Amino acid sequence: MSRFYYTDSGFVMFLLKALSVNIYLTKERLKVITMESAKVIDVEKQSQIKARQKQMPKKKLTWKIIKQQKLLIIMSIPFVVWLAIFAYTPLLGWIVAFQDYRPQNGFLGSDWVGLQHFTALFNDSLFYRALRNTIGMGGLGLIFGTGTAISFALLLNELRFTRFKKFTQTVSYLPHFVSWVVVANLVTTMLSNTGVVNNILQFLNLTDSPINFMARPDMFWGIVTGAEVWKSTGWNAIIYLAAMTSISEEMYEAAHVDGANRFQKMWHITLPSIKPIIIILMIMSIGNIINIGFERQMLLGNNIVADAAIVIEKYALDYGIGMFRYSFGTAIGIFKSVISIVLIFTFNTIAKKTSDISII
Amino acid sequence: MTIKKIVGSVVLTSALILSACGNGEGESTTDGGNNTSDNGNGSSEPITLTMFHADLAQSDGFDNPVAQEITERTGVQLDISYPVGGDDLEAIALMIGSGDFPDLIFGKGGLNQLIDSGGVLALDDLIEERGDNLKAMYGDQLDRLRNSLDDPSIYHVGTAGVENQVLETSGTMMLQTGMLRDLGYPEIKTLEDYENAIVEFLEENPTTEDGEEWYPMVLSGADWRWLITVGDPASFVSGFSGDGQWYVEEETGEATYKFQREEFREYFRWLNGMNAKGLLDPESFTHTHDTYISKLSSGRVLGIADQDWNIGSAEAALRAEGNEWGLWAPLPVTLNEDTAPLVTRDYGFTGSTGISISADSDHIDEAFDFLDWMASEEAQILTNWGVEGINYEIIDGKRVQLDEDRENAQTNSNYSFETGIGQYIHPFPQWGTAAVDSNGQSISRTTEEDIRTNFAESELETLEAYDANIWVDLFPAADELGIPNHGRAWEIPLPTGSQVNIIQQRADDYTTQKVTEAILTDPDNFDNVWDEMLAELESMNIDQANEEMSEIINRRIELWGGAE
Repeated sequence: MSRFYYTDSGFVMFLLKALSVNIYLTKERLKVITMESAKVIDVEKQSQIKARQKQMPKKKLTWKIIKQQKLLIIMSIPFVVWLAIFAYTPLLGWIVAFQDYRPQNGFLGSDWVGLQHFTALFNDSLFYRALRNTIGMGGLGLIFGTGTAISFALLLNELRFTRFKKFTQTVSYLPHFVSWVVVANLVTTMLSNTGVVNNILQFLNLTDSPINFMARPDMFWGIVTGAEVWKSTGWNAIIYLAAMTSISEEMYEAAHVDGANRFQKMWHITLPSIKPIIIILMIMSIGNIINIGFERQMLLGNNIVADAAIVIEKYALDYGIGMFRYSFGTAIGIFKSVISIVLIFTFNTIAKKTSDISII
Repeated sequence: MTIKKIVGSVVLTSALILSACGNGEGESTTDGGNNTSDNGNGSSEPITLTMFHADLAQSDGFDNPVAQEITERTGVQLDISYPVGGDDLEAIALMIGSGDFPDLIFGKGGLNQLIDSGGVLALDDLIEERGDNLKAMYGDQLDRLRNSLDDPSIYHVGTAGVENQVLETSGTMMLQTGMLRDLGYPEIKTLEDYENAIVEFLEENPTTEDGEEWYPMVLSGADWRWLITVGDPASFVSGFSGDGQWYVEEETGEATYKFQREEFREYFRWLNGMNAKGLLDPESFTHTHDTYISKLSSGRVLGIADQDWNIGSAEAALRAEGNEWGLWAPLPVTLNEDTAPLVTRDYGFTGSTGISISADSDHIDEAFDFLDWMASEEAQILTNWGVEGINYEIIDGKRVQLDEDRENAQTNSNYSFETGIGQYIHPFPQWGTAAVDSNGQSISRTTEEDIRTNFAESELETLEAYDANIWVDLFPAADELGIPNHGRAWEIPLPTGSQVNIIQQRADDYTTQKVTEAILTDPDNFDNVWDEMLAELESMNIDQANEEMSEIINRRIELWGGAE
């Protein structure tokens, strides 16, 4: 019954589900990655195969092939059905973006209004501010999130004292499990006028009067990104660490014989070896920089920094469904999907051109 | 052959998996159906009605003594859900979108959308047939429950009380009682008096006895509470009626977005000055609610402007620690001597939104009978006074609250959740503070004597110094202020598709931010920021919203039977 307006237990279940999906996804990712990194070792071979594939003429789809592969086709049917039901069927709902949708009239009974909702959207100055903030904070989060995770993984990988390494790794990914509500409270408390940060700054005589960090619109993006980096570095590093463990020891030994020092080994062996994973993860997350959610902005924001804190999803919530404008909200959703697809394809193409790695 | 076998088994397994999923769902739904229908038939087992409560902020398991008593007497158990994120309109929108309605819905501002979607039931016939308690309660006020001129049916009952007297104030400017005592209880009528009192006190007492800094004035402007600690006090100080974000010209029913009024410029110029002089806590617009409450609970805050219900936990903490002189006295502060504060106004019966019954509920009759029972004298005494023997006893035929219950009520911030007293008054049908039962006793526990019994020593002394019995005596008497014909503008549920909704949301988002900027800016720059805001409001089509709102208010006045 209460699927949409959460009851207590419903909400907890929802969180649990989200968590398990998350863990599941990570496991899947790790699988993909280990498979990928196995391939990395003979990149050359791979490119040869690819070249050969390009030369081969495209096979025509004939009954014979279908017959040959019928087992595979049958095996894939459940997944195709699953995809169609859960990923494509809901897309039918997109038609409400072109209607003046009222639930009581249903999909077919609502008036068609063409692109009216999109025009309204593109004429709203608040939308552009929300878009700028979303891409800004999403981009910063991606750059610094990936950057710190890779550096952290590299440094951790160099540790030879295994126990300490394991311990650090565990401690560093714990913040991932802390809710944003708690993180936001920690951050605001630390950055408040009487908080730790101001105390330190004043003790070191760097400022005379406390800096009211949370009241500075120009610092808001930075604070959000900082909090995110703190929360996710350890977690994101797991994937890179996993990738690094599959790099052949022989390469390091060979480099050692050649007299490479540690930094040279990192730069010339570790990084190039995990490059495909970095790029794949980048492609996967670049489409999501517009889907950054709104909880951290909402929890860390206040009325002074509202201009810097409004993001697309909050905008869609407040001005779409919060006002019973189902169609307007859907229009925003469509626009977001379009942006995501464009971003993924652009980055994918760039990656393909520059490094011959792509996922599409 | 092997291939066939494998194919067969694959098909079989997938079919099994699919059917298993299907079965699982089917079973659970039929189970649920069976349960509820069983309960409906059997009279001994209580039936469970689901309910959405837009104003609830934490889970209520309906298991406190009052709730248990309700279940015992009516055979109804409520399963209450509430908007977790705090936004009731979004919850309603999703409810309508999914077509999944609970039996009882308190839709608040989303009532019109619920009616439009056909999700709620017209109650006229039911009230006529079997709503004896409701009819007795509402009497000739029943018309005020009607939906609109075009569709004059009744879709809800409840919220505001019928027959009120104003005994308590809320949302005004307040000053600390301890500070007033030290100053010898000066007369405080204007913003100037208010500010001078704080300045004078700080000159004499730069720090507390423990050597800690005072907080001269603290607001809570980081989240939606901006509206009640920054926006609403401005209305009261300006002498406006409690119309939310609007100012309504009562002669003509003409509405103006309140931030366009010149009085507001004056109030915020003053607040800007307070900030410039360092009298406003610099964290007023950044701290979280918890920090705000902990500052208030420290007893070091001199001036606030807030609703009683928002600072209840801080007051409970101060009382529990014996820090009574840290409590605040509500004062009739206005812009100047000529402005009268309308805080103590009686708005008449204003129940323009309330509990509705879902049109596709399986328990329409039970739900209606339950609501009707909630309007009975028996139910009203139970929800207001609690259970006899636990919360009150009858002495000489009169209800008297037990001492331990009184103490619990004052110091336990979870009182209403744990005991259930007061928990089920709003948004159900309810008698007001002036109503009496068949024995002539007050139905509400809040009487003048009761309020005075609850006062701390500090409050009683302060009142005595100002020659008053309770705080409202400091304010103009309610019958001098008249009853507005439109009730309160913020309570009118806006029609679906109305532009007012969208424009007002934009304007509210904008003004919370821009007014905050105006407060924090350099005093020389204040007028610039304010003018900039007015110009931007114009460009948001605020005039169109004003016009539409005026029309909505005029229709409301007509629906309610015009000027009384």
